[in-house]
Amino acid sequence: MGSRALLMLTNFKFKSSFASSSSKPFYLVKSSPTIRKLSTKTRSSLQPPDVRRLAETARISLAPNEVEEFAPKIRQVIDWFGQLQAVDLDSVEPAFRADTEGDNLREDVPETFENKEALIASVPSYKEPYIKVPKVLNKE
Amino acid sequence: MASTLFRTIQIHPFSLYPTAICRRRNGVLYCTMKSTQTQTATQEKQQPPKVKVSQHTQSKTLDKITRDYEAIIGIETHVQLSTLTKAFCSCPYNYGSQPNTSICPICMGLPGALPVLNSKVIEFAVKLGLALNCKLSLNSKFDRKQYFYPDLPKGYQISQFDIPIATGGYIDLDLPLEFGGGHRKFGITRVHMEEDAGKLLHSGNGDYSQVDLNRAGVPLLEIVSEPDMRTGIEAAEYAAELQRVVRYLGVSNGNMQEGSLRCDVNVSIRPVGQSEFGTKVEIKNLNSFSSINRAIDFEISRQALLHTQGHDDQIVQETRLWEEGAQKTVTMRKKEGLADYRYFPEPDLPEVILTQEYVDGIRNSLPELPEMKRRRYEKMGLSMQDVLFLANDVNVAEYFDATISRGADIKLAANWIMGDIAAYMKNEKLSINEIKLMPEELVELIASIKGGTISGKIGKEILFELLAKGGTVKGLIEEKDLVQIVDPVEIGKMVDKVLSENPKQLEQYRGGKTKLQGFFAGQVMKISKGKANPVLLNKILLEKLNAKS
Repeated sequence: MGSRALLMLTNFKFKSSFASSSSKPFYLVKSSPTIRKLSTKTRSSLQPPDVRRLAETARISLAPNEVEEFAPKIRQVIDWFGQLQAVDLDSVEPAFRADTEGDNLREDVPETFENKEALIASVPSYKEPYIKVPKVLNKE
Repeated sequence: MASTLFRTIQIHPFSLYPTAICRRRNGVLYCTMKSTQTQTATQEKQQPPKVKVSQHTQSKTLDKITRDYEAIIGIETHVQLSTLTKAFCSCPYNYGSQPNTSICPICMGLPGALPVLNSKVIEFAVKLGLALNCKLSLNSKFDRKQYFYPDLPKGYQISQFDIPIATGGYIDLDLPLEFGGGHRKFGITRVHMEEDAGKLLHSGNGDYSQVDLNRAGVPLLEIVSEPDMRTGIEAAEYAAELQRVVRYLGVSNGNMQEGSLRCDVNVSIRPVGQSEFGTKVEIKNLNSFSSINRAIDFEISRQALLHTQGHDDQIVQETRLWEEGAQKTVTMRKKEGLADYRYFPEPDLPEVILTQEYVDGIRNSLPELPEMKRRRYEKMGLSMQDVLFLANDVNVAEYFDATISRGADIKLAANWIMGDIAAYMKNEKLSINEIKLMPEELVELIASIKGGTISGKIGKEILFELLAKGGTVKGLIEEKDLVQIVDPVEIGKMVDKVLSENPKQLEQYRGGKTKLQGFFAGQVMKISKGKANPVLLNKILLEKLNAKS
């Protein structure tokens, strides 16, 4: 399964662009944040968080002073987890996921949810039969 | 609207000849228009695209321009699976239901709800992966693709990012004869499982939009092709073949109008001989195979023109919409920067584990796929045109197979199905499963005609009744007394009668009007109620006509 290790190392394209050919345009994509960094023999340092960008992508509004205030605090949390970097992973295969259980599957049998009225009633803005939302034309 | 098409077919080793048809273009290619999303419903027939073609010698330069460039086309297809329930909850899905009636806390993304994977989704994904000759990942996982949009209840879509269930396959197809024919093989990069979002409707001039969550959570398979297509027609045929495959497998009804088959196309061009790819442009809002064809051809010429005018920097990586009415692509509002989906493994779903036995079981249960059918029909001696027609619809192919497995003549069976039976189906708007003529009876019909029991003409007549009302050939022949008359004595008697009843015409014939033979033949047919064997009839008639003179 060395191929999986290779997968982890490369920078992924988020959208299926053209097949692996060296001459393709390389679309810079920030896939997932630093979590994917593979441990190397030398201890790598974790990037400091870009709090303003994080807040934007998570749609959490922060005042400028809050951004300044939170950055070191978030950094502290990350660094605390950063202790894991000390583990020697040279002889360990990267796992897909953290758990070890397998499938939890369900049969393809329809079941109607009983209390749909309650679901609809909990929608803040409902204009029968649709959920009413602000007009948005473009995806993020 | 008389839109003519602009297309270049690259010189491949196996295509017949390059054809370039020029298109007259009004106005400037890149005039900015308001980017409105036009929802056009295009009628999509269940056959390969029939595109209007006419030769215009307008600009030979346009012709030359696209010959200097090679187009690189890739397609992303989303196939909505025809499972009974959604991907991660047990809500049923039926196209066209009342909005927001097929919902539950899971597909609405309410707090605390957890997804549970539908086993059928894995089965369909494996089926499709195998049919597309892919390598299956025995271990794969789900990931969260995070973004905010009103039709995405959870704020993320459960998808597969770096470890899809199938990778590295290919698909074989045959181009329609009206476009030069030829065999093609296109690579498939990956197939992965994901869920659909709800439906977002824009209320015309209002300042709000509307969401219907019936579709949220419906399972999709995303198929990503290698950028192997080079022309609009190759791309359109690729999509048509995918539709054929998913219908053959029974994993989806592959309907572009209903949205159960959606294609987004990526087009770039580069000067012939260059190894680097050009800038890639995505085209959305393609509702039919012919739109795929036309949109790509338009985009190729748009980009080629910019290139030759030295404005290739104006080709930017963007998403454009195909406007069916205007027959052109237009810019969507350009995004600032690229989206960051912050993928990470879906913590609420376990790994997807396939055993080799499971995969082998599915592989052994796969039906005969379109490509295999086409090759088998070819070997039987059918012409390419027949092959493409018969293998297009899995039900028609089954009907044909049922007919020839009972011993019917292959070519005759093909002709009946493609001719009179297809015409009837088209008129009555029926599928082959709905007609009353059973394959066994078609076999009987063919045998009866071949064996001389009834004439070909009578055969056609009772065909109509069989199609509409069913019944047996033997029964009808008896009931209506349709057995062909082949006794020369009997025919002779009828000829004598006709000749004696029509002395004037007889004299005219003897006088030189030999065309009247047809008249006499018609009269004999009439009194024999169409049962006289035409060949015998004419032989005897001619003898008698010429004998007395």
